[in-house]
Amino acid sequence: MNRTRIIFFVVIAVAIVIVGIGLVARSLGPANNPIAPAQSNEPLEVRVVTALPIEAWITEAANQFNTEKHTLDGRLIKVSVVPMDGLTALNRFDSAAFDQVPTAWIPDSRYLVELANAAYKERNGRDVFLTDGEYRAKPIALSLFAWGLYGTRAKALEAKFGQIDWKTIHDAAIAAGGWPDLGGDPAWGFFKLVVPHPRKNVGGLAAMVAAAGEYYNKPNISVEDVTNPEFQKWLKELMGSVTAISGASAYTAEDFALLGYSVGDGGQMLESDLLANMGGIANRWQDPLVVRYPKYVTWFDFPFSVWMGSETSAAEKNAALEFQKYLLTKAVQEKAVGYGLRPVNADVTVDQPDSPFAKWKDAGITTVVQRTSAMRSPDRDVLQALLRWFDLNVAQR
Amino acid sequence: MSRSYKPSYKTLKPNPGGWISLLIIVVAACAICWPLTKGLIDAVNNATGGMFKSISTAASGPQPTLTVAVSPEKAELFQQLVENFNAKKLKAANGDELRLATVQLEPEDMIDAAIAGDFQALSPDSSIWLDQLDRQYQAAQNTSAGLVGQTVRYAVSPVVIAMWRDKAQQLGWPQKPIGWSDLLNEATTNKDFKWSHPSTSSASGVLAVLAEFYAATGKTRGLTVDDVKSPQAQEYVNALEKTVRYYGEGEASIARNVAEKGRAYLDAFVGSEQIVINTNQKPGVDLVAIYPNEGSLWQDHPLALLEANTLSDVNRETFRAFANYITSPDAQQLILAKGYRPADLNIKIDGANSPVNEKNGADPAKPQTSLQVPAATVLDVVRESWLANKRRTNVELVVDTSGSMEGDKLNNVKEALSTFLDQVKSDEERVGLIEFYSEVTDRVPINLLKNNRSTLVRAVDTLDAGGNTALLDGVAAAYDRLQELNDPSRINAIVVMTDGKENASAIKLSQLTAKLQQGNQRGVPVVVFGIAYGSDADMGPLQAMADATGGQTYAGTIETIRKLYKILSTYF
Repeated sequence: MNRTRIIFFVVIAVAIVIVGIGLVARSLGPANNPIAPAQSNEPLEVRVVTALPIEAWITEAANQFNTEKHTLDGRLIKVSVVPMDGLTALNRFDSAAFDQVPTAWIPDSRYLVELANAAYKERNGRDVFLTDGEYRAKPIALSLFAWGLYGTRAKALEAKFGQIDWKTIHDAAIAAGGWPDLGGDPAWGFFKLVVPHPRKNVGGLAAMVAAAGEYYNKPNISVEDVTNPEFQKWLKELMGSVTAISGASAYTAEDFALLGYSVGDGGQMLESDLLANMGGIANRWQDPLVVRYPKYVTWFDFPFSVWMGSETSAAEKNAALEFQKYLLTKAVQEKAVGYGLRPVNADVTVDQPDSPFAKWKDAGITTVVQRTSAMRSPDRDVLQALLRWFDLNVAQR
Repeated sequence: MSRSYKPSYKTLKPNPGGWISLLIIVVAACAICWPLTKGLIDAVNNATGGMFKSISTAASGPQPTLTVAVSPEKAELFQQLVENFNAKKLKAANGDELRLATVQLEPEDMIDAAIAGDFQALSPDSSIWLDQLDRQYQAAQNTSAGLVGQTVRYAVSPVVIAMWRDKAQQLGWPQKPIGWSDLLNEATTNKDFKWSHPSTSSASGVLAVLAEFYAATGKTRGLTVDDVKSPQAQEYVNALEKTVRYYGEGEASIARNVAEKGRAYLDAFVGSEQIVINTNQKPGVDLVAIYPNEGSLWQDHPLALLEANTLSDVNRETFRAFANYITSPDAQQLILAKGYRPADLNIKIDGANSPVNEKNGADPAKPQTSLQVPAATVLDVVRESWLANKRRTNVELVVDTSGSMEGDKLNNVKEALSTFLDQVKSDEERVGLIEFYSEVTDRVPINLLKNNRSTLVRAVDTLDAGGNTALLDGVAAAYDRLQELNDPSRINAIVVMTDGKENASAIKLSQLTAKLQQGNQRGVPVVVFGIAYGSDADMGPLQAMADATGGQTYAGTIETIRKLYKILSTYF
């Protein structure tokens, strides 16, 4: 073999060794490289941070979506769900604390999206979630705050006060003699209000805003309203009937159901959460829940919001849109009804015979919410004022 | 004419053009070989299920594991759930096996460990610890974001007063509702009433002390810091705590002793409904769960993921898969069978298969009401107040320094004794140190720790081994010191450790046990806790002394001796 051929084969061998070492080293290297651009044949990862009330529905939809192997431009779309309370997620967006920025966020309400945008705009001069256009934050399901109380407790309160509203609950909370003063059983102790911890569950803040709405008899609350000393005194008396703020979790309706009337007689909670637990409560405590709708309704519209920052690629954003469209299909929206959520797809109704809305109508559930004055979403200053008040007067009591 | 060799400079002189050409050829060859070689490696990976990936994993360490800290009262159940889960050998999206490991910790101890990143998830006995963890984390990190992430509930159990049925009937149960005030009244008026509650490192202990403060103030809600700190409340709790027999590791340990030692051991203790149900399965036990009419508390056993920066996708996937498993029908039925109320509300707890029934001393329709859990700041003051007001102790540490203790054995005991002294926080406790070998030496006379803590530490450090084993004389000397103190207001205890067999004492075992029994009846009651250290230790005399005084024995090894002394410190 002449020298030229030897050199040729040596060069080829060296090249193979170099390439082989490089590829093996890449296999041995870290699995996650968020900076590395996606290869054209790798799946498109869609990470969706999801509010807790809809997490079960979204997870089921995501699993089905993944099973159906949806693709975009020939690439498989893989959806993963990260359950996270809306306020917790908002804090993480505000402090840029996500290890991996989600491709999309479904908070409890659009006002959380607005708050996140406001913070980013202040820092970076741009919106990260759009409010118009193809990528706008789009509601994918609805629910609302409703009163849920154990039947025996509701009966006693309605007999004494006529209707369930924040005024009735406040008067029950301050009854010095407890349930005997309210026409209830002495074994029930004092009236116990169920309210989520506002730092762990966006429903906690929403409950205080709703209480303020009825106190002032208006759907629009200002900072001056929540810092008014008379209102704060009233609110403190109300919150004084919460059993365990320090132990309160993010899953209030579940706790309400699991721990029973010993920790809570009732409260304003998400209708979908109440529906999810009606059967279990009746089974476990033999004291079914009743539902009543408030004068000013707090709606939760769970907007699917695509992250518009550079941390995700255009392909990933479009893949997120595919999943969003999937969630709005009739079949998936019908599944949402099964979870007690109200659909946004006009072709889907809640009054199917097998829906939880039909099943629990004798408990007070209505397919059409009669009182249609909606509580206006509070702005950030109102939320901060309420949280400050809560930290000083309830969390530190 | 000579010829000198002249190198051919022309041959050896570097040719830049040639090297560049060679480089270009190599790069071109790499470009050609890249798809071929990659295809080969991918084929190998696919055929072998990721041979190169598994090599990478093996090279970097063991399979990813989610470590969960679990509180002691449910450790056995939780371990079973973990084993069942691990046996499924589920896989993550990247092919890694989803596995869990557990570490047992008192709930209070979980907090610092969680912040230090010792585990990725935790399951204490109550959510009140999660709130405390977040507060401490936020203060340490100067952030408003919490550490506690996704939380799952899989089992709950109300905290009750576990009472022997005959005693409960004496107090009027079930004809009238009874509660904390009945218990506390009995404790302060009946000198023969024996009761116990765990320390405030567990939810049952916190509830018991909270109930005491509520009773002191006449409230059932709205407890404030000022209420707790008031002189009246402090005196009330101080008087009450003097009636506690001793505290102990936790409700599981108390229940074990109740089952082993029978009716004479305790009249009542604070624990969970689940403990009552399970202890009633033991022969001769007839406890009832009293759901206090003033209100109770729940052990809600949350399982929480910690949102630390080090949390991997596989950790998350493992957590989610385990959460799905423990809320599955099979796991929930197992949880019910163990006496817990399952989180699955579709499972009836008053059904035919449920152990939550009257026969086992429980009532599935109870509790009707809860005590209000005050804010974390008030709870902190409650726990601090308990430390200040809990029943004080006189403890003689009696240590074997015979020849067989030489080397690692004695070194480990020295560490264990140091741990014990560290754990006894209050300087108002009295501790003494007696060593025995061929003779008995009162190394550090019993005194308040504020007077002798540093002397004790130095003495422990300078212990050395030699001689025979005068175990019984050592205990007798300790007993005499405690009787001389003549302080029945305190818990009087001897903690004796030996690694061998008694062979040098003047007093015989039968004489000593008689002395202990008679002395306890006539003088100050003293409890003996015995540790048999190592395989050569004679448990017989230790057991006899513990039985004579209502104490306990433990078997220790070089690895566990430190933990044992730490456990014993919780009794005081």
